[in-house]
Amino acid sequence: MDDGAVTAPRERVLMISPYPPVRDGIASYALQTVRALRREGLDVEVLSPGPSAAHHHLDLRGPRGALALAKRIRDYDRVIVQFHPDFFYTEPGRAKARMVESAALMVPFALARRLEVVVHEIDGRFGDPRRPDGQVARRLWHLPESIKVHTASERDAFIADFGVDPAKVELIAHGADFRPHTHLDRAAARASLDIEPDAFVFLAIGFVQPSKGFDRAVEAFDGLAVAGARLDVVGSVRTDEPDMVRYASDLVELAEGVDGATVHLGYVSDELFDRWIVAADVVVLPYRAIWSSGVMERAALFDRPVIATRVGGLAEQAAARADVRLVDDDAELRAAMIERLPLEHVPATASWTEEVLPEGGDLRTGLQERVRERASTRPSLTRSGAAGTRAGSASSAAEVAQRSAPLRRLPYLGPPDTNHGRRSVRLVKRVLRKATAFQVDPLLARVNELQAATIRALEAEARAAQVREVETRGVEARDGRGAEAAGS
Amino acid sequence: MSSTGAPDRRGRIGLVPARFGEGMVGGAEIVLAEMGRRLRDRGWDVEVLTTCALDHFGWENVLPAGESVEQGLAVRRFPAVFDDDAERGWLNHAVATGQPLGLVEQQRWMNANMRSPEMYHHLLDHGDEYRALVFAPYMFWPAYAGSQLLPDKSVLLACLHDEPAAYLDLFAPVLSGIAGLLFMTEPEHELAHRVSPKLAPHSVVGCGVEIPESYDAAGFKERYGLPDRFVLYAGRREGAKGWEDMLAAFGRAVEGGLPLSLVTFGSGEVHPPASLEGKVFDLGFLPDAERDNAFAAAEVYIQSSRYEAFSRTVMEAWLAGTPVIANGGSDVVRWHCERSGAGLVYDDEAEFVECLRLVAEAPELARRLAKGGRDYVLEHYTWEQMLDGVEKGLVEWTTAP
Repeated sequence: MDDGAVTAPRERVLMISPYPPVRDGIASYALQTVRALRREGLDVEVLSPGPSAAHHHLDLRGPRGALALAKRIRDYDRVIVQFHPDFFYTEPGRAKARMVESAALMVPFALARRLEVVVHEIDGRFGDPRRPDGQVARRLWHLPESIKVHTASERDAFIADFGVDPAKVELIAHGADFRPHTHLDRAAARASLDIEPDAFVFLAIGFVQPSKGFDRAVEAFDGLAVAGARLDVVGSVRTDEPDMVRYASDLVELAEGVDGATVHLGYVSDELFDRWIVAADVVVLPYRAIWSSGVMERAALFDRPVIATRVGGLAEQAAARADVRLVDDDAELRAAMIERLPLEHVPATASWTEEVLPEGGDLRTGLQERVRERASTRPSLTRSGAAGTRAGSASSAAEVAQRSAPLRRLPYLGPPDTNHGRRSVRLVKRVLRKATAFQVDPLLARVNELQAATIRALEAEARAAQVREVETRGVEARDGRGAEAAGS
Repeated sequence: MSSTGAPDRRGRIGLVPARFGEGMVGGAEIVLAEMGRRLRDRGWDVEVLTTCALDHFGWENVLPAGESVEQGLAVRRFPAVFDDDAERGWLNHAVATGQPLGLVEQQRWMNANMRSPEMYHHLLDHGDEYRALVFAPYMFWPAYAGSQLLPDKSVLLACLHDEPAAYLDLFAPVLSGIAGLLFMTEPEHELAHRVSPKLAPHSVVGCGVEIPESYDAAGFKERYGLPDRFVLYAGRREGAKGWEDMLAAFGRAVEGGLPLSLVTFGSGEVHPPASLEGKVFDLGFLPDAERDNAFAAAEVYIQSSRYEAFSRTVMEAWLAGTPVIANGGSDVVRWHCERSGAGLVYDDEAEFVECLRLVAEAPELARRLAKGGRDYVLEHYTWEQMLDGVEKGLVEWTTAP
């Protein structure tokens, strides 16, 4: 049928990105964008760094990868690159290699008819204009027609670090194209994951690697396993590099010593990822470094509150979300988790009027023991171990707590106070604080870690001593009965 | 199903076998194709989504891409992509031998074998047009990638075997996070629980088997010039099915005086040892009617595979009144043999040879052994029973438009 109408050819788009079924945050992000573009009627093909559901695959790293890409890139009206240095550079940390590879990457970037680059991560130092590799990187980043980032701070940093025209750098909403991967409600999701219906679930989810800081969440959760509260750390190790594998095994070991904390290492599909979020009460993002977080967007998709460290662009990302609590350090992280514990999950201690203290003896000692015992059922910022489950008898919890009491009395050590009545002094203090933070902060963190570790060690030893004592008594009692029987 | 009235059959069902069409050999794919025809007859809107390939070794695109009607079903074919991949060899070997692989390597293994990006993007673009997508078997890329793309709509006819691949982390979300799983036997169901502690909604639906109206054993032997007494092997002639080991053991039994020949049909190449010269008859691919006749003409049917989720060929042998000798390493086939009483299992070559000798030396006894087989199949494995179970699952696990 020819009605005389001329149909315009569909715009041909090439998306360059990791792609499913490879499990990767950027791959999932790219898939959602591809789905949206195809639904707009565009003719979208995908090129991925390795075999996948993409139409094409090509190892993009190094000059050879860049030049191979250059051969194909002219076939498309528009090219969208999901950029992460690992996709294009063989050794992102080495300046000389980076310079050569940036120069090679300029070829396909220059040949593209219309080039958009979505930057997921980049080190600003790569654009240092005083270095030859930085000069080349700056030229490279002048080539795209548009560069897209997810937060305003990323945008500011990118413009400053690479000297690009601000008009070219656009902000895009991280979760704009996100769709849910599960239809399960909370009850069904929990049933499928073996989570008790009335449990209170903190969830840390994503690739298990040091930058994600899941160990911080486990440390912060120590002692918060009150009446069904739990922390689930869910994810897989992204690469088989020894550092990553060791971090994962250290994390598992750490969680084994924290009541209620569990690390679920293994493959997490998009569907399972969303199912965990639906099942959770609070999503915890204890990151040490990140540009922006897809997990925060997925939590928002299902209206789950988030506790996140104030790193990278998370603060700006959080500004657009309703229920995100940002924290600055581990103590705040723990405090935020305690705040989130619903009161009904904290076992109510009986009124003191109902306390029956033993007759005779030292009243103060009796009361002190009861104070410690009762306190052990409630979470605190300094207490370690499983609240409410510290010891078997009323007095043993108190004994354990007594061992760690001197350390627990020490207040948490924070950075020097920069406040002062006079503005000029306040300003000087802040400048000094900023200037010395790189030296002071690790020391503060280490002191607080040592305090927490020593408390844990002391209390563990006290509990072990109690167990040994109970066992010794049992053996003596059996021996005594045996001796009596033999005597009779 | 009949007690609650007709099920809600609205919405299109996409059946997604990796291969479909005349000349294709593969139990799961055959079941899925027949299931599609019968679901259509019950009033479902069925479409087959598959590749242009028929052979699972080279994945050559021998059929045209696009839409067609084949065997009475709407079919949509997509090119299979099977690149030269230097990693494929060692990754396949590592998976087959159960070597520990990290998740990254598991993903590379999956993507190093046949893929179909066009099929994937069809599902991406048109997933909403389907009420459900039924995949089979679990190990091929379309089932893996498609079920992860549209988990809410995905139903898997698992065809799970107790093999190292089943235990890969990669398949955990396939078994736990999709709309539903269909199993054909209780041992397969039990295996799934061992592999994945938390299974997606699931049901044991059995499997339908065609019941031939008649057999022509004598005519079959005459048409193909076969000896009077032979054992039969049907299906995929490849190491994964125990074919090579069985062939070698059969050769040694013949050298020891076993007066039987071996007739075989199906896919894969046949390389008999010199001792079996003139004793092995490869019939290639047989039409359905002749396939049934082959089962009736055989003294015994040999199922050498340890990896069976159901074993249609064993059922076809029993329907024809032929006894079965099976590898005892397959929980499923051993279970069938124990329940029906119509088959023997072997756990080593000596037992295999003894089973063959029984057939050779006491054929009447072997025929008596087979007696309960036909009733077993007719009682447990009809299409009506299976389709009732499949429809129940589709209605419960997926949402009508």
